[in-house]
Amino acid sequence: MPTTLRLIPLLVLGASLTAGAAAAQEREGLTSTVFDRYSQRIIKIQVLESRSGTRTGVGSGFFVSDSGHIVTNYHVVSELVHHPDRYRAEMVDSTGAGQKVALLAIDVVHDLAVLGAAVQPHRHFVLDPVQVTHGDRLYSLGHPHDLGLSIVEGTYNGLLQHTLYPKIHFTGSINPGMSGGPAITAGGQVVGINVSTSGDQVSFLVPVERAAALVKQVRSADYRPPANLLDEVAAQLREYQDVYLADLFANDVNTVEIGPYRVATQPAPFFRCWGNASQRTERLYQTAEHSCSTDDYVFIADDQQSGVIEVTHEFVTTTSLSAPRFFALYTALLERDNTPRGTEEHVTSWRCGTRNLRNASAPLRAVLCLRRYRKLGELYDAVLKVAVLGQRDSGLVSTLSLSGASFENVGRLTNRYLEHIAWR
Amino acid sequence: MALILEVLDARGEAVRERVRLENLPLTLGRGYDNDLIVDDPYVDARHARIVLDDTGSTVLEDLGSVNGLDPSDGRGRVTRLALKPGTELRIGRTIVRIRDSDQPVPAALQDLAERVAPAAETQGWLNALWARIAITVAAPFATASYVWLASYERSGASDGFAAAMGGAVLTAIWSGIWAATGRIIVHRFLFLAHIAVVSCALLASILYAAAAKWMEFLFPDNLVFAPIAMLAGLALITATIVGHLRLATTMTRQRRWRAGLLTSAVLVLIASAAVLVESDTFSDVPEFSGQLEPFPAQWLPAGDTQEFGSVALDLKEQVDQLASDSLRTR
Repeated sequence: MPTTLRLIPLLVLGASLTAGAAAAQEREGLTSTVFDRYSQRIIKIQVLESRSGTRTGVGSGFFVSDSGHIVTNYHVVSELVHHPDRYRAEMVDSTGAGQKVALLAIDVVHDLAVLGAAVQPHRHFVLDPVQVTHGDRLYSLGHPHDLGLSIVEGTYNGLLQHTLYPKIHFTGSINPGMSGGPAITAGGQVVGINVSTSGDQVSFLVPVERAAALVKQVRSADYRPPANLLDEVAAQLREYQDVYLADLFANDVNTVEIGPYRVATQPAPFFRCWGNASQRTERLYQTAEHSCSTDDYVFIADDQQSGVIEVTHEFVTTTSLSAPRFFALYTALLERDNTPRGTEEHVTSWRCGTRNLRNASAPLRAVLCLRRYRKLGELYDAVLKVAVLGQRDSGLVSTLSLSGASFENVGRLTNRYLEHIAWR
Repeated sequence: MALILEVLDARGEAVRERVRLENLPLTLGRGYDNDLIVDDPYVDARHARIVLDDTGSTVLEDLGSVNGLDPSDGRGRVTRLALKPGTELRIGRTIVRIRDSDQPVPAALQDLAERVAPAAETQGWLNALWARIAITVAAPFATASYVWLASYERSGASDGFAAAMGGAVLTAIWSGIWAATGRIIVHRFLFLAHIAVVSCALLASILYAAAAKWMEFLFPDNLVFAPIAMLAGLALITATIVGHLRLATTMTRQRRWRAGLLTSAVLVLIASAAVLVESDTFSDVPEFSGQLEPFPAQWLPAGDTQEFGSVALDLKEQVDQLASDSLRTR
């Protein structure tokens, strides 16, 4: 082969390396330009204990109007909703000046809040619809760990598949403290609001449309902030759960076979399902598990979340255990506690009832446990556990777990779950 | 009719001596030459004497004593006192009382005290040596079986053995304490008999636990079971304590049962109070009965799924109540 030809690949490689370096340099230049251009529109939000003035939390926010409207996350200012008499919030702008802010509106389901400050910012973001495509570069801004305003480069990776409401998958490091900050294009268009991360550059944004809708509502002429924000949270949760629970298990339930049983799976597109079988030799029994759960959850307070639905089926079988010993195992599986935790501030204790029932296909032992939200009207957490009876060496324990549901939905879903699921 | 003089202790409670006032005169004092010796440092060696006066009445005369005669009617010291039934006075610090000889007395008490230890040896099937040994062996065997049947891991058999051994050691310690108590009170060290009593209790509680599990499975959330469990606990503890007391003390049957009932009632009350307090305390861990038993499904008492709606309604009422309680106290 001629030498020149052999050199060609090297030249191509060299050229592409040079081009890559140039692009990186340009991008770095662009990042600093983006930072310079938009950093003044972003503020730090701190929540303070009213009496002592001690700071209890830090987040980010950004101006969306020339009359001091600020968008941030609900979870940044949730203490103000739960304890308006104990906490207040203030914004700190790029010059370091602090200013009191008022909580004007919340969207608890999408984790958004609009604040008002008596300032006229020089510049603000405009929340217009924006076209982005998979792989587009985005810049997320905020105050990670209160270390000062920072910019994080990342990519837009589309909307999450398994969520009831759209959420943007952003590949970039969002850290605590950046919550409520914007993720923008190089041109300064807001694409989403920083909301959460699951580490390793996997981060999530609330799409800008939700924030735009909330801001529009606040800026309408006849808007009055809710007198009681907790009641507002309760009303929003109630509406939300009616949307996602109403049609669950209503008709055409997807099923999957687990052992000799046919059980419900993937109750709705916003569920994710997993399967798992265990045949550990040191055990005298084998289990197979199939579970589905929503990815979404609604942040209500640091120690309360809602909106999670989980369906779990655990099939257990044995060839080595006598009937009494197998039933000791079966009892332990049914009695195993996998209910969500909670604190006395937000929920009551559980109360449970047990019955032996017979549906169209099998005798069952059913346990229903219920607890009520203390501050958010008539919303309940419910866990229904069912053991299918009739075999001496195998069984199925199935659990339906609901959080933040109305009693009507608890009753309706419990009934459908017991009745319509083909057990065997 | 004759008069009786009673010498009481300083508090006027116990009678130390009774003297029929017949051969008068009669002298009283601390000295050994008196007809009635009163052992009291506040009484003179020759303190007083009792005589018949001219009119035939019985009279107590002071013989110039230091502390004199002090009738309890409160009139102060006297040198001479006519004695009648009901008269009471103080000599030194000793109380003296006069009674009529036809003073009525209550009927005799029936002696219910059995000399328990020998009696126990001769009656009841539990006293047969073979019965004691059988029960003593059965209890750890039952414990081991119970634990083994309730386990579903490979370690089930060794867990059962460990539970039986642990139970046996505790039984031995407990019985040892009772036997030692019996050694002190009735001078008999009935170790094996006490072990038989504990073993009986253990067997009964294992049977009860197994029965309770089945009842819980067949009739879940039945309100009858809580009082039954309480009564069963009461009966078991009472019977055990009575059994031990019978072997280790000379208590009458009635007092044994009273003591047993009292102890178990206190224990059951404490346990119930603990349950009440716990049910009132916030917890995010639910409590429910998921008991399952290998019972033929076709015979299982079971409702239809619609009935479960009333369970949900009942639970709603309970948690709504909890929520409104907390609002009131907040």
